[in-house]
Amino acid sequence: MAKKYGMIHDNNLCIGCQACNVACRSENKIPESVYRLQVWVKPEEYPNGTLGYEYHRQSCVHCENTPCVSVCPTKASHVNEDGIVLVDVDLCVGCLYCVAACPYQARYVHPITKAPDKCTFCHESRLSRGEEPACVTVCPTDALVFGDLNDPKSKINKVLSEKVTYRQKEKLGTSPKMFIVPNHKGGIRS
Amino acid sequence: MNHMAGSLEQYNTVVWHWPIAVYLFLAGLSAGAIISAIIIKWMKGNDVSPWDGIIKAGAILAPITIGAGLFLLIFDLTRPLHFWKLLIHYNFGSVMTLGVLALFAYFPVVILFFLGVFKKELIENGPFKFLAPFADMALTYAKAIESVTLILAVGVGAYTGFLLSAMNSYPLLNTPILPALFLASGVSAGISANLVVGLLFFKNSTGESNVSYMHGLDVKVIFAELFFLFILFVGMMYQGGSSAHVASAALSSGGLSTLLWVGVIGLGLMLPIGLNFALPHGVKHSHGFVIFNALIVLIGVLALRYYILYAGQTFVG
Repeated sequence: MAKKYGMIHDNNLCIGCQACNVACRSENKIPESVYRLQVWVKPEEYPNGTLGYEYHRQSCVHCENTPCVSVCPTKASHVNEDGIVLVDVDLCVGCLYCVAACPYQARYVHPITKAPDKCTFCHESRLSRGEEPACVTVCPTDALVFGDLNDPKSKINKVLSEKVTYRQKEKLGTSPKMFIVPNHKGGIRS
Repeated sequence: MNHMAGSLEQYNTVVWHWPIAVYLFLAGLSAGAIISAIIIKWMKGNDVSPWDGIIKAGAILAPITIGAGLFLLIFDLTRPLHFWKLLIHYNFGSVMTLGVLALFAYFPVVILFFLGVFKKELIENGPFKFLAPFADMALTYAKAIESVTLILAVGVGAYTGFLLSAMNSYPLLNTPILPALFLASGVSAGISANLVVGLLFFKNSTGESNVSYMHGLDVKVIFAELFFLFILFVGMMYQGGSSAHVASAALSSGGLSTLLWVGVIGLGLMLPIGLNFALPHGVKHSHGFVIFNALIVLIGVLALRYYILYAGQTFVG
């Protein structure tokens, strides 16, 4: 059976240390000034006056219903057999329709190829060797869980069955495979 | 949000820049020019030379503007040398592919129209004798080819709207009225450009009744545009939530809202309507006024494309 890779970002475990961000850059040799992954840290004040932080993983959420793939005129943007959203640089003309159509701002123009680039769940490197994506491996608090959503016994399905999760901008019908465990306090702004 | 994560530059929501706005303008103008030329041709039964100046203007403007627009579009790609891949790889779910296919058919038929209209100048008295079979085809099968051209022109005029409205990442663009607004403003631009070129370069062959018909049609299309713009913003307000926020920001903040109120609505829509009601009959029908009116309409349509493209990408809720 084909795999369907997904990820969980736990807002309660994340500390915004950017280790994932740095690991991604080093693993995928990301050029200076562009990013496949950042963690945005936002100070929050709760109604009783206490302070806290919200963490947002800014990266591709690997939609099942992919706006970037739908708009691509040459099928350079595609979903592979494991449900990972990828760009075939060879087919890309650089119209940037996918960059504009992505509601998650997950794509940037690679300074060298001039084609859009994005998170690949490290599929061409670590995943093909049977390892987890660099960000997941390096996370010091295990805030990231990665795995096959088609496998009922996978770690990701275990966590999805035990914790409350939501997905960003779910109302757009994109069905992201990036699940978020919301902060245990404050509101959820999806 | 702080910057400990690194540079936030790549997260600018404005992805498509001014060349796209100019392309959207030129594609609409091209479609509008050929549509209004064919309307005059059919209405007047002008099936043989001498052609009316409006028909000549449309015949020249349609291929030139779409050609210039496509040139601009190709060089705006980040990988322009790979543009030919657009011509051989298709995704029928992508509005861009559908646009490429429509243009594949549209470009040849507007060139045929041009060859038919300028057969005398280009082929009989000119150096392009080898193109005679094409000009003859355009004249022999005029009705059939022009019917197809008309449908394709509506497609080209509307697809630029669908191109933007297909993106649900931008609330102002992701609206059902956008293709209708773009088609209407494209027709308005086409009529205006035909009037300018017809009156400036083919003054003797441009029939007075056609000028006033075109001019009158333009005013009606402008009313339609105003109504579509009204529907766009009122509809977004009624949707509430982020759509309502985006609509009110787009109507009221920064230079872009000034462009909307002054350039698009004031100069491009209200001024032509106002002048048409206020000025005496004699002035209204003078060529000088018709040209002036057409020029402000053209500026307004360009401003509309620029505004929609930039405001659409800037105000994202």
